[in-house]
Amino acid sequence: MGGAAAVLLPTMDTTGIAALAIALLATAALAWWLRARSGALRRAGAEQEVGMDEAAVLAGLGVHPAEADLTVVQFSTAFCAPCRATRARLLQLQRTRPGLAYVHVDAESHLDAVRALDVRRTPTLLYLDRTGRLIGRSSGAPRPEELTAVVAAHTEARTEARTEARE
Amino acid sequence: MPSEHPSVDVRGPRFAAWVTSAVLAVALLLGAGWLVAAQAVVFAIGAFAGMRRAPYAVAFRVLFAPRLRPGREREPEAPLRFAQLVGLVFALTGAAGYLLGVPVLGAVATGLALVAALLNAATGFCLGCELHLLLRRALPARTA
Repeated sequence: MGGAAAVLLPTMDTTGIAALAIALLATAALAWWLRARSGALRRAGAEQEVGMDEAAVLAGLGVHPAEADLTVVQFSTAFCAPCRATRARLLQLQRTRPGLAYVHVDAESHLDAVRALDVRRTPTLLYLDRTGRLIGRSSGAPRPEELTAVVAAHTEARTEARTEARE
Repeated sequence: MPSEHPSVDVRGPRFAAWVTSAVLAVALLLGAGWLVAAQAVVFAIGAFAGMRRAPYAVAFRVLFAPRLRPGREREPEAPLRFAQLVGLVFALTGAAGYLLGVPVLGAVATGLALVAALLNAATGFCLGCELHLLLRRALPARTA
């Protein structure tokens, strides 16, 4: 090992060593940020009220919040592995929560909506209550327990399926 | 179904990401443009011929998979191939930088490719995949 280093050292590149160190630090910082923030639910404050424009954009996507206790809108792309897992989880939740409406939007074929609603990553989830108010949103793969908790907090479990719901 | 949406054992790409990270780290340390170029070829095979034919995935299948328990978790291939394409762009830029006498460009592009590969290896997060929507968003509206 020491011998190999002695042979390699003269050929090492100082710019490269610096670039490697920066790359390692950047990776660590990104990994930390992903753990801390990605997919976390951001509850909407009063200033994040859905405006008329956003409401119109959502209606154009087939989102009708008045028809359900909780409407979850998911933006996905084909090049997004976590989108599929998120979709499966929401469809599963829908089976035990009849008050949950789920709208799946292909981001690439609705780029105007993506820009209007400031969707930057997939999956992005928007949570809307019956009045059309934005409860919160998340971008990046949502945390399963957080997703389940929001759905549970805003919808009733199907009574006859209550035992299944506890699985 | 499998032909329409091909999928791969999730452990293959993770293994490939570790190997890619190691190759790019060594390339940076030595300032070796030829090694970055070799990695670009590997990216190109994954992006254009498919993940099943990508050299590191073949190595995983031949050397490790037979010794491991059969993988139950699979993932779609399309995001992986797109990410390989993003890797290819950075590796080609890096190799060109080193081989055409602009080592700083070589180190920066190779360093960025390393960040993406290492992040993928360590956390499973696909940085290349994230760029896809950002690019489509930034491009002027098309009649899709």
